Amino acid sequence: MRAFLSSKKAAPWLFLSPVILFALVFFVLPVVFAAYVSLTTWDSLTPPRWVGLRNYEYLLTRDPVFLRTLWQTLYFAIGTLAIGVPLALVLAYAFSRSRHQGLWRVLYTVPMVTNIVAIGFIFWFVFRQTDGLLNRVLGLFGLPGPGWLTDPGLAMTSAILVFVWMELGRNMLLFAAGLGSIDESYYEAAKLDGAGHWQLFRFVTLPLLRPTLLFVVITGFISGMSYFTLMLVLFPGTQGGPSRAALTTGQYMYQMAFEDLRMGRASAVSYILFALVSVVTLIQLRVMRRGGVDAH
Amino acid sequence: MTRGMIRVLGACSGTALLAGALSAQEARTIQVATHYTQEQAAPLLACFEAYEAEHPGITIEHQQTAYGDFLQTILTSRVGGTAPDIYNVYSVWVPQLASAGVLEPPPAGVADFITQNYSPATVGAATIGGQLWGIPTELSIYALVYNRKLLEQAGYGEPPRTWAELREIAQKITTTNDQGNIDVGGYAYGTSVAEGVHPFYAQMFAEGVAPFAEDGRSTNLTSPEAVKVLSEQAALFADGITSNAITVDNFASGAVAMQISANWNKFGWQEAFGDQFADTVGVAPIPHDGGEGGTMLYSFLWAVDATSDAKEESWDLLSYLNTPRADGLSCTGEMLAGMGAFSGNTADLERMTAGGDAFDKAYVEEVTSGRAVTQPNIWQAAEADRILRGYIDQAWAGSLSAEEALASADAEIQAILDEQP
Repeated sequence: MRAFLSSKKAAPWLFLSPVILFALVFFVLPVVFAAYVSLTTWDSLTPPRWVGLRNYEYLLTRDPVFLRTLWQTLYFAIGTLAIGVPLALVLAYAFSRSRHQGLWRVLYTVPMVTNIVAIGFIFWFVFRQTDGLLNRVLGLFGLPGPGWLTDPGLAMTSAILVFVWMELGRNMLLFAAGLGSIDESYYEAAKLDGAGHWQLFRFVTLPLLRPTLLFVVITGFISGMSYFTLMLVLFPGTQGGPSRAALTTGQYMYQMAFEDLRMGRASAVSYILFALVSVVTLIQLRVMRRGGVDAH
Repeated sequence: MTRGMIRVLGACSGTALLAGALSAQEARTIQVATHYTQEQAAPLLACFEAYEAEHPGITIEHQQTAYGDFLQTILTSRVGGTAPDIYNVYSVWVPQLASAGVLEPPPAGVADFITQNYSPATVGAATIGGQLWGIPTELSIYALVYNRKLLEQAGYGEPPRTWAELREIAQKITTTNDQGNIDVGGYAYGTSVAEGVHPFYAQMFAEGVAPFAEDGRSTNLTSPEAVKVLSEQAALFADGITSNAITVDNFASGAVAMQISANWNKFGWQEAFGDQFADTVGVAPIPHDGGEGGTMLYSFLWAVDATSDAKEESWDLLSYLNTPRADGLSCTGEMLAGMGAFSGNTADLERMTAGGDAFDKAYVEEVTSGRAVTQPNIWQAAEADRILRGYIDQAWAGSLSAEEALASADAEIQAILDEQP
């Protein structure tokens, strides 16, 4: 044993053992335990009772809220990417070619360092129906003042807009780093060939920025699929906005686990969400790797 | 050192160890978990100190947890083996906690004390299936609260007695801005589960029907009375008398004329209206059509953890805290009075309302008249309430009719009630 411990073979395992132990206790064990719990009914007070796949069957066939929250979560995740990523890319590209870049960086990192509760309060005052800033401005032009946070048809869109604002700085920072890593010689060569601004962006910047784009899209999608903190502060006291219109699967899972004490069903939700995120991420990887990232 | 000296030292050490062991056996720490802040619980903390002085060896620790996190904290502490000895729990949590064996039933002496010193409605709040689980504390009662000045400006000197009158008054008071959004709402509901479901239950009681069967195994949500109540609520939204944007929180700013609210809001409104409070805030029975009327009350209760190693001491402490003192309120009563809340203890309640204002008397009248009925302590009550709130929202928004919404709520809640042992 002593010979093995002092051998070169053991050295990596010895150095890695604290990390492996940490991962076993705080990652592998909870994941395996959650898988077991998802096959039981458990209120955390009494011993779990084995129910097989009944939690999954209930969620996918009988729960009137679960599938709706999945669609709403997908809408939120895709909506934030569809608006947020192009916006961050265009702004990062514009700022990368402007002066006073230090000043711009300070400005666009402000949302990143702003506390989520403060963001919730700020936008609550912006979006209030009767006396909110946005509706007051719309009123100046004789336009109606919709219920940004109180109309079930608008609640999730409002949450998407706020989340885009929150994530804009982070995405711009990543794109700025990606843009900075593109060699200027590519642009010079393209210009010599007569490329204009759009052609430079379309045929030089975008292909060479794909690794960054892939990272931003995948991490943005994963965080969008599991996010609900913003909904808690934008729609305080509700069950996920008016008529649950902004209820995401993450928040529904939290309610199941810690308010209804349905740990088994909540664990099943987490596994379904995990499966969905995995599939979509694999599709994203496959689609976006085509034509450049692998080569890059 | 001589042998005699060693014997003496040995005897001294043995005595000291024995004494230490004995005092360690007698020493007890009682942990009391509540959702009250240190400031709110100040009278209680003073009583803890007095109790400690009277009972050497007993140490009492107060654990304050936010109301929203209270149930989760109980669960976590139970799983971790660090559960407090005494909890102050919301009555609707009791069925699950009792079923899971978390709570210890009170001993016969304490049970007698409760039945002799608390009104039947409050005892009911702490009772599940005939078993008493603790000592009732804070009472929250629902009634119609109205802004006297807004009603007077609209030409009404008295609050409404029927829902038709309420609707007429509310319509007259409601004003909108240039964008069509409500500036002053004739009536308001709130955004939380309780702010939608509790007024609904209270209105059902006012119409003479309890929301759930007495045995807690079925609902009355599809009854004609329930459908009538929800239809009338939805009509207020459809007619622009109220909206999701004008809520019970706006009452304090004078932007709401009427709402069904609990008494614990009093201090917030006193702060908002200052010396105009009595002239502005009125309380009346919930408008209803025919019958005696009625409303809902809910309670918190002191309960003891089944795994506590100081059960006897915990019940003794609770008896001490809830027995009215010769010179006035009980310790619990004093704390509740400081918060503007009512005690479930009959003697405390009489003392509290003897010098109370019209606001207090109107609420207490709901209890003493027997109109206030305990919120049903049904299985998975919080989950059932949340389901119901979801469907109430859809009826208010007009996406479901009252019948459809309540039929769907009934089906889902019935499935939960069928799970109970």
